[in-house]
Amino acid sequence: MSIALATRAPRLRRGQVAAIVPTLFMIGAFVVPLIGLAMLSLRPTNDLNTPQPGWTFEQYQQVWDTGYLRSSVLDSLWLSIRVTLTCAVVAYPVAWFLVRTSSRWARTAVFAIVLSPLLTSEVVRSFGWRVVMGGQGPVNAALQALQITDDSIPLLRSGWTVFLAIVHVLLPFAIITLTASLGAIDDALLRASANLGASRTRTFFTVVLPLSVPGLTAGLMVVFSLAMGIYVTPLLVGGATMSLAGLQIQNMAMVVFDQPGAAALSFVLLTVTLVACALIALFGSLTSRRRTRG
Amino acid sequence: MAKSHIDAAVARWSNRIAVLVVCGFLLLPLFAVVISSFNSANNFRFPPEGFSFRWYEEAFAGTAWAESLQFSALLALMVVPFVVVLGTLGGYAVAAGDFRGRGLLSSLFLAPMAVPGVMLGLALLYQLQTWGLVGSTTGIWLAHLVVSFPFCVRVVAVSAASIDPQLVRAARSLGASELRAFLTVTVPLLRPGIIAGAFLTTVVSLGEVATSVFVSGSNTVTVPVRIYSAAQVQIEPTIAAVSTLLLVASVLAIALIDRFFNVSRLL
Repeated sequence: MSIALATRAPRLRRGQVAAIVPTLFMIGAFVVPLIGLAMLSLRPTNDLNTPQPGWTFEQYQQVWDTGYLRSSVLDSLWLSIRVTLTCAVVAYPVAWFLVRTSSRWARTAVFAIVLSPLLTSEVVRSFGWRVVMGGQGPVNAALQALQITDDSIPLLRSGWTVFLAIVHVLLPFAIITLTASLGAIDDALLRASANLGASRTRTFFTVVLPLSVPGLTAGLMVVFSLAMGIYVTPLLVGGATMSLAGLQIQNMAMVVFDQPGAAALSFVLLTVTLVACALIALFGSLTSRRRTRG
Repeated sequence: MAKSHIDAAVARWSNRIAVLVVCGFLLLPLFAVVISSFNSANNFRFPPEGFSFRWYEEAFAGTAWAESLQFSALLALMVVPFVVVLGTLGGYAVAAGDFRGRGLLSSLFLAPMAVPGVMLGLALLYQLQTWGLVGSTTGIWLAHLVVSFPFCVRVVAVSAASIDPQLVRAARSLGASELRAFLTVTVPLLRPGIIAGAFLTTVVSLGEVATSVFVSGSNTVTVPVRIYSAAQVQIEPTIAAVSTLLLVASVLAIALIDRFFNVSRLL
């Protein structure tokens, strides 16, 4: 009898019951709001930017036609590319150190420092850059002490300061993903390369770099997609006038109250981000495939 | 041989210097905040003119900051238990389950990390408008659940992936029901992941700003959201004092996580 029952009723597989509640939660609190946002971006609006019944692409048309909105997406793209490349280059020596150092103490200390900004509120870090780059801040004080300049330089609200602050916010992500993939490289390969007479530089470019491509692409994708949507840091460090898509979305939604327009711009931003991430992934898999074949 | 030794030393030292520079860069703004919070004067001059606690006193004396500190703490207390339950179930399902569509489910659970905060905030704001919950505690609570859930799933999943399925099978064959086996065998084995998930959720909830800005109402202003709006108007050392408190809270949470869970496995 019990055997007959067991075969008749399809038994639930392990973990299926556990998945029910979180899946329902994610559908209700994440998928449904995003679908709602997608529908909102396809609604026509009246003069007060209130969504009306019906369907139209005019919000997307408006994003494309409005010069500053179109260029904000391009500016975000350009800034994200610069931030991503900088993070990749700067993350290498730190990840290398974390993997190679024999001192447990040094590794723990560096790891804690790398992680500390990640777990500090973005708003605190941005505020910190305001202080650092302020008129009487440490950078200006140092420049004046070294007599490079007499008056304080207006470092805030410059594109370079915003760039630095964004690199600061996102660098830990690059370091952590890269550390994971550098750690997986077999020591024997490095010794073999050295024994065969390769210089350190050559070993780096022909052994370490190719083997770290999977971790590198994962890290680049995380940094890139976070940089594309960032708005808190540029707003606090650079001011509301910066041309970045995330800031424009925030501005349209919370200042101009054009929610359908903001919805359309955020889907444009998401699409551009996903396409760029797909390109990074493609680049990554092409590089590693060429390696394994050659 | 001598040349290669020198080469190795040069490489090692240039690596160390690069690491020091990067660490300095990462710590610089955090130190600047902490130092300026103890400044005795009402400015951000470096080096500061004197030492005082006056900005901390001011932060606690002013009702707005005190309310926000209270609200942030309360919100974290309301968010953590729910995220821990959801994240434990979700992390266990994606890491230890053996059903079809597990990979898809894992992407769904981690998806909030990939969507820009500004977009998630807008989507939730619009949704809350239709539910009539704009500016309510429920609204910002829901937003914090969504934002911190993937972090908790990830940490629990790391723990769950290392559980030996034989243990649960043994419990089942000894007559324990599915639920009993889960509660008495699986959950205790997941404990380090669950505890780390709870602290990580606390850190995320205390620091969340990009999404919260959209759904926070006049009575539901968290500390980061208040810093966000205050810093846009005029920066004052009170902001530095509150930021330092927030920083200390997350450092404590991280130190506690580290006791239960190797922090390097968090990401």
